[in-house]
Amino acid sequence: MSNPFTLNGGTVLSMKGKNCVVILCDTRLGSQYETVSTSFPKIFKMNPRVFFGLAGLASDVITLHHKLRFHVNLFQLKQERSMPPHVFSKLVSTTLYEKRFGSFFAQPIIAGLHDDGSPFISSMDSIGATTEPEDFVVAGTGADYVTGACEKYWEKDMEPRQLLKVADKCLQAGVNRDAFSGWGGVAYLITPEGVEKFDLKMRQD
Amino acid sequence: MQESAYSFSLTTFSPSGKLGQIDHAFAAVAGGSTSIGIKAVDGVVLAAEKKIRSELIEKESVIKVAKLSKYCGVTYAGMGPDFRVLLKEGRKDAEAYRVRFGEECPVSEVSRNLAQVMQEYTQSGGVRPFGCSLLVIGKEADGKPGLFQVDPSGSFFAWKAACVGHGASDAQSYLEKRYEEKLGLDDAIHIALLTLQESFDGKLTPESCEIGVCGGKYGSEFRRLTMEEIDEYLS
Amino acid sequence: MFKSFVLPGKEHPVKFDEEIAYTETSKDTPPVDGLVQPAPGRLHRLHGTTTLGFVFQHGVLIAVDSRSTMGQYISSQTVKKVIEITPRLLGTMAGGAADCDYWERRLARRVRLRELESKEEVTVAAASRMLANMLYYYKGMGLSVGTMVAGFDASGPHLYYVDNDGVRYHNDRFSVGSGSTYAYAILDQEYRYDLSVEEAVTLGRRAIYHATHRDAMSGGFINVYLMTEDGWQRYPTKDCYVEHYGEEEPFLE
Repeated sequence: MSNPFTLNGGTVLSMKGKNCVVILCDTRLGSQYETVSTSFPKIFKMNPRVFFGLAGLASDVITLHHKLRFHVNLFQLKQERSMPPHVFSKLVSTTLYEKRFGSFFAQPIIAGLHDDGSPFISSMDSIGATTEPEDFVVAGTGADYVTGACEKYWEKDMEPRQLLKVADKCLQAGVNRDAFSGWGGVAYLITPEGVEKFDLKMRQD
Repeated sequence: MQESAYSFSLTTFSPSGKLGQIDHAFAAVAGGSTSIGIKAVDGVVLAAEKKIRSELIEKESVIKVAKLSKYCGVTYAGMGPDFRVLLKEGRKDAEAYRVRFGEECPVSEVSRNLAQVMQEYTQSGGVRPFGCSLLVIGKEADGKPGLFQVDPSGSFFAWKAACVGHGASDAQSYLEKRYEEKLGLDDAIHIALLTLQESFDGKLTPESCEIGVCGGKYGSEFRRLTMEEIDEYLS
Repeated sequence: MFKSFVLPGKEHPVKFDEEIAYTETSKDTPPVDGLVQPAPGRLHRLHGTTTLGFVFQHGVLIAVDSRSTMGQYISSQTVKKVIEITPRLLGTMAGGAADCDYWERRLARRVRLRELESKEEVTVAAASRMLANMLYYYKGMGLSVGTMVAGFDASGPHLYYVDNDGVRYHNDRFSVGSGSTYAYAILDQEYRYDLSVEEAVTLGRRAIYHATHRDAMSGGFINVYLMTEDGWQRYPTKDCYVEHYGEEEPFLE
């Protein structure tokens, strides 16, 4: 059997800016080398300030999303407050480690804003080992290539528009070198004023 | 075997719609020594009267106010052993929350969990309700202080100032007179001790009461005051 | 000029070559049931491809993509997959880039030498047979070649399919490579012998474009060649992005 992490393909990226954060993904769903769908977004809105990207086996992406949605909704109902991004990140981590033996074949990244407007990003492996870097996080089949572009173009304290532009460029640069990612993209720009969604125009080959 | 009145579950409604066992549990609470809690602007305090039946008991070994998690504490009125079971469950739930979400469990969540446990004992077979009411204090998710009362029936309420135990009704009317919005923690501690004194037989000493605080000059972590610290408030 | 390939000094040279070519650089795809799986190694570039060709009233049309991959990595988007053998012979590239390149160049040399000797043009049938014979000689040694030989000779336009098994087929249309099934879907639906040149070019491009859309291993640019009695001519290369959106891909600043 082929590697479940790369079976369906897909890449996710998130970048920190000045009081803003952006999270992007491609929209391909493939089966090995065959592109099955070009409208399979991998980013989910968990609450108005927390977004969640998942790259990996599509069935696990869907299942894990539903599993986390359950906990986030329950948290919201019980505590009558939105789950903060760092709390959500920990929830994802523990949820993944619950399946330490027989893990989900997916790598998550989390992007959000704290109440004070400060950005939060984190990424983890498929069993929940977390990193919370200062600059950007990537996951998926094109992660290696996207990382290279991000290393070059990311700057500290970027304004929202510039951040979106840079992240878009980095994602496309990487994804266009990865046979398993691309075919369209989605971006969410999260600022204290609100969230904007963008469809990214991409190569279709 | 003949179906008899004794074979009914203890948690069965009477024809009038009452759960006798819960009423009895409240009676056990009403017989317990008084505990009170007061929420201040910058913190929250628990004060509990400690009945020591014999001079021969090591006084420090009797505990009425307990730390439940980093930011939460709890006291009770009623049966001590039942309280210990709830304390253990509460601590486990708070710790499970911390491990799962990576942040300390808010006091409202702690109270809800305890209320959940207590409710289950009013509906399960082969058990009896808990013979104690709880006062839970601690930090809320937004950092503000919180005070909750949890009853054997499983109901729980948020209070500005609350009291449970045999002196509860007197204490409550006393607190209603004394309580004011914008109370500081230090003042709240004084009022708590004065309220306890009202229903106390004789003069309150550091040996006959316990105090737990969080907030104010004591920092946001829950802490039990030492006898020396209590003595300062009493003198 | 060398006489033959030097083989590894091992008891089973082919097996040794397979080990080096595949398993050493790609341990995640071990042999299954004793068969070596095509894998992303340092060797064997260009495994995925879409190429097609068809014979019609004006000659033979060849259309190819330009992507080269090593596993999932896209190593190039600007590969020339049509090899110009002689002015009236073309070969296409699918499988291993180096193998196709080498054997078709070698074919070109042999065709040229024979033409000089016999003073007659080598027919498409003869040229494709020469290639098939060469590949048959090395059958089982790990060559990866899937090619179409297109040409125009005294008997008219011809199209042959030749691969590393030594197979050689003659037909009015072929498509070769990982995206071939997708290309066939378009080609079989719309192919007619009496296509005009313009229709043929459009069909070729469209079939390749659809294949690049579905097949992750195909993409880049679409190159089209038309073979007529006067020899081959190359049509302007076209970016798949342009084929899809009708405009140039913007440069992201």
